[in-house]
Amino acid sequence: MAIDVSKIIHAVMEGSKIRESKGIIPLFGVYLSLFSVYYYNRLSFEFEIKMGKQREAEAKTLLIEAAQECGYATFQGIRDSWEWQQVVAPMVENKKDQIFGFVAVAVAFGWGDLAVAELVPGQKLVLRASDSYEASGYLEQYGAAKSGKCYMLRGVTAAFMDLVYGGDYPDGCFTFAAQEPCCRVKGDPYCEFIAQRSSD
Amino acid sequence: MTIFDWQSELNRDGHRVVISGQPIAMHCHHYNINLQKTLEETLGAEGVQLLYRSAEETNYNSLQHLFNQYKKIRTLKSKLEMASLLFQNCGLGIIHFRKVRPHSAYIASSSSHHVTGWLAKHGRRETPGCHFTRGWIAGALEVIYQRPLGFYIVEERRCKMKRDEECVFHVKER
Repeated sequence: MAIDVSKIIHAVMEGSKIRESKGIIPLFGVYLSLFSVYYYNRLSFEFEIKMGKQREAEAKTLLIEAAQECGYATFQGIRDSWEWQQVVAPMVENKKDQIFGFVAVAVAFGWGDLAVAELVPGQKLVLRASDSYEASGYLEQYGAAKSGKCYMLRGVTAAFMDLVYGGDYPDGCFTFAAQEPCCRVKGDPYCEFIAQRSSD
Repeated sequence: MTIFDWQSELNRDGHRVVISGQPIAMHCHHYNINLQKTLEETLGAEGVQLLYRSAEETNYNSLQHLFNQYKKIRTLKSKLEMASLLFQNCGLGIIHFRKVRPHSAYIASSSSHHVTGWLAKHGRRETPGCHFTRGWIAGALEVIYQRPLGFYIVEERRCKMKRDEECVFHVKER
């Protein structure tokens, strides 16, 4: 059975309208917040600017690693959740399907129109997005750039592979690392994320 | 009184998620707290300021947009009520505008996404840590009192991340 993206999006949208009495959204095993993409973009890109040219590489690494670590914990929580068991698990027949399920949740969260372009089990994952909020936000605020700017999605792509093919949780984080060879901020038609084993 | 129909404001525009037409992202406490920790540890006070200013500016623009849409919301009371509803419905927590004047304010939060997230991931901290909420409050009051960005300073006097009973914020003019 293929993963039904619209079913997952529907479940996230309905779930995100439910709050408990403390104003917290507990959904898919995590505490969810809804906030403007402008905030996240400003944090990332101004952080990079404040770190300066000399610490540019360090800034990128920190942002990507923060996202990968978060993606690893977040999607583990999601995979363990009651909602996943009810909505997604019945559609999952193999490990590859888990990746498709994760991507559907990321789309539901408003991170971009992500799609799997290639998946080699245990080896490689290629995701593409023609409208990630990071690239769109960067283009709007700063214009074109010479290197990719979708740090969150880059980390998350690797985290998906870590969770499915990286060994038992919590020891599998950073088994994979992702690159972003194409990004709309560089003039490419879409952003592309390629996760492969870190040692490759 | 129905201030605004929250359920109908949260929507999808294709693959985007929007609140009143403005694009938003759903993120969980892992990411929000990881970002905060990264900025605090790497840039120190400058990182804290970046968190504060980003929340302030973003909330200023978001609320401005909402108030422009809901022209019937004109009184201080209804504007504060709408701001609290927005905070709560975005999963950010509960905020109580206890004493609000044009030149100063006293605000408390009995629960917040960032407190819950920080305590779940890192436990108690030694210093107040609700930089996001401080910025969010500054932006809200600047819109409500039609002041420019940066007009108010928000200090957190008590913080649940330090295991105080509630987070308490004092607002004054810069």
